[in-house]
Parts: sequence; C-alpha cells; structure tokens
Amino acid sequence: MKKFAKVIALMLTLCMVFCLCACGADKDTKSEKKITIFQQKAEIAEQLQALAKEYTKETGVEVEVWAQAGDDYYANLKTSLSSESGPTIFTLNSDAEITEVKDYLADLFALSFIGDIDSTLLAVRDEKTVGIPMTAEGFGLVYNADLVDPAALTDMDALCAMIAENGKGLTTVGLSQEDYFLAGHMFNFPFALQKDPVAFCQQVMAGEVKLADVPEFQQYAKLLSAIRANQVNPVEVTYDNNCGDFATGKTAMVHQGNWAYGVIKDFEPAFEMGITGVPINGNDKIAVGVPSVWAVNADASDEEQQLAMDFLNWLYTSETGIHYMMDEFGFIPVVKGMENENMDPLSAAVAEKISTGDILPWTFNTEWPAGIISVDLAPITQEFFTSDMSEADFLNAINDAFLKYAE
Amino acid sequence: MHKTRKGVSSVLLVLVSLIWLAPIYIILTNSFKSRDEMYANALALPKDFSLGYYLDAMGRLDFLTVFKNSLILTVVSVLLLVVLCAMASWMLARSNGKLSKLIYAVLILTMLIPFQTLMMPLMQEMNNITKATGLQMKDSLGGLIFMYLGFGAGMGIFLGYGFVKGSIPKSLEEAAIIDGCNTWQLFWHVVFPTMKPVLITLAILDVIWIWNDYLLPSLTLRSAANQTIPIGTQMFFGQYTIEWNLAMAALMLTIIPVIIFYLCAQKYIVKGVAAGAVKG
Amino acid sequence: MKINKKWYIVFVVPILIPFIFTVILPFFQGIEFSFVKWNGLAKAEKVFVGLQNFKDVLHDDRFMTSLGRTSLFTLITVVLVNVIALAFATWVTSEIKFKNTGRAMLFMPYLIGGLILGYVWKYVLGQGMTLLAANTGNESLFFNWLSDPQYAFIAMIVVATWQMAGYMMVIYIAGLEAISGDVLEAAKMDGANGWKEFIHIKLPLLMPSITICLFLTLSNCFKIYDVNVSLTGGGPANSTEMISLNIYNEIFVQSNFGLGQAKAIVFFLIVAVITFLQVRLTSKKEVEI
Repeated sequence: MKKFAKVIALMLTLCMVFCLCACGADKDTKSEKKITIFQQKAEIAEQLQALAKEYTKETGVEVEVWAQAGDDYYANLKTSLSSESGPTIFTLNSDAEITEVKDYLADLFALSFIGDIDSTLLAVRDEKTVGIPMTAEGFGLVYNADLVDPAALTDMDALCAMIAENGKGLTTVGLSQEDYFLAGHMFNFPFALQKDPVAFCQQVMAGEVKLADVPEFQQYAKLLSAIRANQVNPVEVTYDNNCGDFATGKTAMVHQGNWAYGVIKDFEPAFEMGITGVPINGNDKIAVGVPSVWAVNADASDEEQQLAMDFLNWLYTSETGIHYMMDEFGFIPVVKGMENENMDPLSAAVAEKISTGDILPWTFNTEWPAGIISVDLAPITQEFFTSDMSEADFLNAINDAFLKYAE
Repeated sequence: MHKTRKGVSSVLLVLVSLIWLAPIYIILTNSFKSRDEMYANALALPKDFSLGYYLDAMGRLDFLTVFKNSLILTVVSVLLLVVLCAMASWMLARSNGKLSKLIYAVLILTMLIPFQTLMMPLMQEMNNITKATGLQMKDSLGGLIFMYLGFGAGMGIFLGYGFVKGSIPKSLEEAAIIDGCNTWQLFWHVVFPTMKPVLITLAILDVIWIWNDYLLPSLTLRSAANQTIPIGTQMFFGQYTIEWNLAMAALMLTIIPVIIFYLCAQKYIVKGVAAGAVKG
Repeated sequence: MKINKKWYIVFVVPILIPFIFTVILPFFQGIEFSFVKWNGLAKAEKVFVGLQNFKDVLHDDRFMTSLGRTSLFTLITVVLVNVIALAFATWVTSEIKFKNTGRAMLFMPYLIGGLILGYVWKYVLGQGMTLLAANTGNESLFFNWLSDPQYAFIAMIVVATWQMAGYMMVIYIAGLEAISGDVLEAAKMDGANGWKEFIHIKLPLLMPSITICLFLTLSNCFKIYDVNVSLTGGGPANSTEMISLNIYNEIFVQSNFGLGQAKAIVFFLIVAVITFLQVRLTSKKEVEI
C-alpha cells in the first residue's frame, strides 16, 4: 500500500506543476497581431476557418474563429462581453440584440464599402453605424413547380380550398415544429402586410389594436385552422422531415427560406422549385431581411479594432473574400456590384424577388420584443395545433402576449 | 442458488440490458447512414457499415487535438478531485467541530444551485482572478481544471464523508495511532487505501461528468487549440438541423473511451472491497 | 481522535480554495443582482429595485406552475430511479453470469451527455413511435408522445429515469459490496434468505447509500435542464417547462437578469429545505459500525 500512496503523491505533484504551467503558458502568445471572431451560423463554420487561414497567409494577421455555441450563442456572447473577454468581431441576430449590446459596438462608418450597402440594411444606433449585413435571406411558401402553380394562389380562400382538397395524402403547406418555423416566420406576414408595419406593432403592444379584428390576422388564423383540420400536426414534424417530405414530393409547399436548400439538396430533388408569399389579401411578395450583422467590439484595443476593420474590408472587397462569401458561404449579395452566379435555386429565386422589389420587411426581427417567439408565440401556436382552440381565442392569446412586453 | 435459476437469471439480465440499451441502437445505426437513408427509415439497419462518417467526423473534429485536450482535462481534474476530496472528507468527518459541520453543510447545499445562474458571475470572478494574479483562467485548460475542482468539491466530499462515517471502523484508525502513525501517515497508509471503493466510484462519476461536460468548457475555452470533444461535436448541430451521421459517429467516438475506462475501473471496485475486507 | 489545527488546514483548505472562488463568491454576487433590474451586461445600468423582483416572482403564474410541475416530476422520478437502481444493483451483485457486462450496459446511458441523449430520445418518441404505429396499427400506445402535453411530461420522466438509474446503481453496488460477508453468513445461519435477507439485513445496512442516492436524484431532478431543452424544449405549449429552463429563459432569452436571479434564489431555498428534510429523515435510520 505504501507504493500506491507514493504513486498517487507523484502524480499529484505532476498535476500541480502542469496546472501552473497551463495557466501561465498562454500569456506569452498575446503580443502577436491577432483578432478573434465569434458567430452563430454552424453552416458556414468550416468555410470560415478556411477563410481565416487564407487571411493569415495573405496578411500575417492571425484570425481565430471561436468554436460554435449553438443555441447558447447569445448567452455566451453576453457573458464574454460582460466579463471583458469578448471577441473582436461577432455577429448579432436581431434588432433587439443590437440595441441591448449597443454600448459594446464600435462605429464602422470608416469601412471602405459602406457606401455600397443600401442604408436601410445597416444597423444604426445613436447615430453610429454599428452593424453591417452579413447577407440577405428571404422566406415564404417554397413550392414544387410540378405540383403547384403559384398563380393559382389568388387569395387565402384558394389556398385553404387546396389544403382541404389535398387532405392528408399530399401535404399542402408543410410547417415544422421548431419555434421560428412554427410561429415566427410565417406569422410575420400579417404584420408586414399592414400599411405601416412599424407603427402597427407599436399599436399592438400599446393595446390600441385588437388582432382578432384585423382582417389579415383573421386570414392567418384561418390558414392555421385549415392546416389543423386537414394535415399532419406540424408540432410532430421536424425540420429535417419537412425538407425530406418536400424534396421527395410528399409535400407540395413548405414555408421556408432559402437556407433550407442546404438540407433539401441532400435528397437530390428532381423538380423545379420557386418561392412565393403567403396569399393574405392575394399577396405574392416574400419577406426579406438581414439575418445577422457583423459588429466590432468597442472594448477591444484601438489596434485590434483597426485589425478588425481591415479584415472586414478585405472580406467585402478582396477577390478571395468575395469568393468565399459568394461561392463558399453561398450568400445572397448585399453590396452593390457584388454578384453571385453560382447561387442555389432558392437563393436565386429570392434574389430575383429582391431585384423586382416584391419584398416585405422582417417585422419579427426588427419590431417584435426580444424572446417573444420562443417564450410566448411558439407555445401558444403549439396549443392551437394540439387542442381545439378557436381562431379568435388564438388571436387574443397572441394579443395578450404582446401586451405583456409593453413598458 | 440453483444452477437453473442462476442460468435463467443470467439470460434475463442480458435481455433486460439489451432492451435498456435499445435507444443506443439509434445512435449506432445512424452513424452509418446518409440523411437520405435516415429519412427513409431511421430504425432500419444501415445499407453498409462503412466507416466513412467516422473518418469524416475525426477529420473535421481535429480528433487528435480534441482527444488530447479532453484527456488531459479529465485525468488531471479527476486525480486532483479524488485526492483532495478524500483528504478533506476524512478530516471533516473525523473532527466533530462546529466549523466542520458548517463547511460540510455549505458544500452540500451548493450542489443544489442551478449552474445557469452562476454562469455570468463566475466568468466575472475568473476575470478578477486573472487581473489580480496574472494567471490566465479563461481559455486555458489549467483555469478550467481549477473550476472543475470547485464544482466537483461538493459531490466528492459528500460521497467521501458518508463513506468515512459509515464504512471505516474507528478501531482501524485507533490501532494505527497506537502503532505510532502521525496524521499524515495515518491517512495515506490506512485511510486512503480503505477508501478505495468509494474513491473509484467517485472517479468514475467525475470522469463521465468532465469528459462529457459541454456548458462550462463552452463558456471558457475559445481557441481552436483548446477545444474538447463535446465542444467539437457541437459543430454538427446546426441551429435547426443536425448532421446526424457525423454527430452520432462523434458521439460513439466520445463514449467508447469512457466505456473502456469503466470496464477497467469496475474490476478495481471488487478488488478494493476484497482488500478492505482482509484488512478489516 | 485528536486533530491539531495544522493538519486540519493541510487537509481541508486545498479543495476549499477553488470551491470558494467558483461557487461561493459567484453565488453571493448572484444574490446581489436579485435586487436590481438589469439586462446582464456590465456596461448597462443597474437600477436598484429592492424586493420588487421577489414580489414579481410570487406573482409569476408561469413560474409557479413550473415549480409545481418540477416538484411532481421530481417526486415520481426519484421514486422510480431509486427502485429500479436498487433492483438492478441487487441483481448484478448476485451470483450470476455476465454480471460485469450487465453492469456496464445498464450504466451506459449515463455515459452520454444529457443534451445528445435528449435529441436521441426525441427521435425515438417522435418519429420512432410514428413508424411503430404505421407498422403495428396500434395507435393508442404508439403515437408521437412529444406533441401531447401529458405524454410529453411522461416522456421527461422516462428519459430522466433511464439516464439516472444506471448512475445510482453504481452507488448502490458500492454500498452492497461494502456489506461484509460475515454479516450475510451470520444471517444465513439464522435462516434468512432472499427477500427476508434483503429487507432485514441489506436494506438497513444500505441506508447511507440510500441517503446519498435520494439526495443526488432529488437535486438532479430539481435542476434538470439538458434533457428538458433537447427533448421537449418545454413544449408543447409550455406543458413541460421545468424550473431551470424557466430561469434560463428569464435570464438569457428575455434578459431580465435580476428577476431570473430572484427566481433562482426562491427555487434554491425551496429545494434546500426539501433536501434538508430528506437527509435528516433518512440519515436518522443509518446504523454506525
């Protein structure tokens, strides 16, 4: 037993020595030129790593991409900013997030290409340009051209009739269970179709409008009712299966955005597809917005901030940077003069709608209170689909949820 | 026990164990399937058992680096935890002072705090330490080991304390004192070896916890050179879609080392008890 | 036994240092935050609101419902986990073949992290069930459990039990193997066997293990988060939202840091009282050797 104790003692000493070394060791490497990037899109994580390596090769500046944080991204970002160890460059995903961390955002106005971006796409706080769009994304009814003629979707009645006719054999409008897909994106349409969506959202939160009395919302609730009565419960469908059903022709349309092509393509679909709006009042415009913006940490040293600006300039203007954004990330361009010839069919359809101006704003990302989709709207919609809740009760429950956030 | 009853019981055990593990079948089979094949039937056996997704997952994870980091982190933290907790729990259990009782109670109570509420203040605290001492606490394995010692203390002392109170006869220690042992010798020559069964149990639990832990490393480890296996695996979990084949392959790669460790450690539990019985 | 101060410090302090810095200090800082209205960012303004956050907690119906639900979940799961774990432990310590293989297999669920385990079960209870329904035609048992509020709650219990039973089994095994052969020999001489031996000899000697396991399952169930997030995400319609998830949402999704901390403290106090009573109750029945 003495031997056992000696071995343990020896190992312990080694551990202690190691601990001290490990804590101290990293200090020395800090003097080099280096920036750090933190972002949420898992889909581009690997390509971004490769891009970082290329940048280091070209300029000698080390770019470190932090590991993914998945759903905890924003919590992680806040924690690191708050404890003075934030990344140099990071992304923010909604207006509410940008407003919340605005004290930590550097002014990006000096970026060389800033004049080439439509000013409505820039994030501005306290007269400072604090965020530049990563890309644009659009969502609406993605249809299989073999099964649906978008011209037939003249109004909500036509769509509801189609849902009733197809029944369970062919799913007409595929929704899936994830919060944003169930109760975020599609629900944007009745808001965005108001004459003045910004003012309307404020009226809702101030209790000046009753959603149950607004025709656009009545039509939206009618659509959900038709889906509940005739289709498989969306609460039971996952995003993967939703895309799989669409790609294999079991679903005629899915309510999705151009990002879904990344999953759809794995099933090698053999048909043409396009995208159109949810036909409230006969609408055929799709909703387009900026899913995330790049921001620079104002707490970083002046030198690091300058390095970050250099990196963003390089990303948006150099040949390699543009090549990565367009071909590797597959982004829809947001800078004037930048074009993407290798877009996937859905992104191309969205870009087409952008160029013809058939687009609606993303009120859910700019006007709705932070967190309302997953904390309130998704649970209410789940309840609607799993019970026999009436359309009016549904709209009133949504109404109450918005009222809760009034200051 | 009768031979036939023994046989039936053995077969039954294997059956129950297999049923118990049925969900793991999903992990295993789907680590061999494409998205297409999984959509077609997630429960069926894969068409072929090629190791393609495993190699792919290993490549994308930078497996050698993440494996090495996980290994260092787990081994060092667990060794320190086991030894330090054994020391403290014996001392706390044998000295019946008010202070000991208070320390023990506080340690146990803090096991009830949900980790989510400590996240933000913890990171600020680590920042203060770095400022005060110059030691890098965040984005370093050493700093993370320090935090594991803190979060593992409650559990370690809880188990150790119970074992000392319940299973180590005081007469054993008294005899050693009469033989002329001082406190240090007494602990290392008599108490520590006797605590072996509970310490190995503790080691198993701590290994699993630290090896699989995601939230704490995701808060502190940033640079690619410091990643662990669970953080690397998160790469396959997109915001809405999961690359099941790669994620499941990575998961198999994560659990195999722990299974091997458990199988090895399991023998020691039996041996340790046998040794203790001879001594006692 | 006499212990001098020097040895006391040498043995106890090394582990207390990291403990104080990682748990105690952040915890007290958290208490401080529960009196302010704040979004969690160091640069943002902290408005002192006194006890307002605690008043809000008591009037938060969703929190209260979640608290009740978590308690019910904990009660059922703790009983199930411990009964199953004890049964398994007794089984694999008896004189049978394959017992080491059995132990390893029954323990295996605990080797998988809670998040991933939740995703896998989501698959089993969602699509797996639907597939089974299509193949067997039995739709009363095989349907998507996760879209029904009651069954989603049951699913939480099933998965938590499945994960923790093996874990507790290991602790019970350690306890059972520590019972000396002499005691059992003596009991056999007195004619005790099987069920009798278990109730009258093993169970009382196992009380320390039972205290430990009850405590661990209690605290793990009350704090459950990983499985909750990945299996049900609190749904459908909030019907499975447990306390930790509720607090996480308050702090990180809705950015009410102060209110979230106040919830955490209320919750902590309740759990502390319950577990204190449990430990008191069971450790009274322990026998010292």
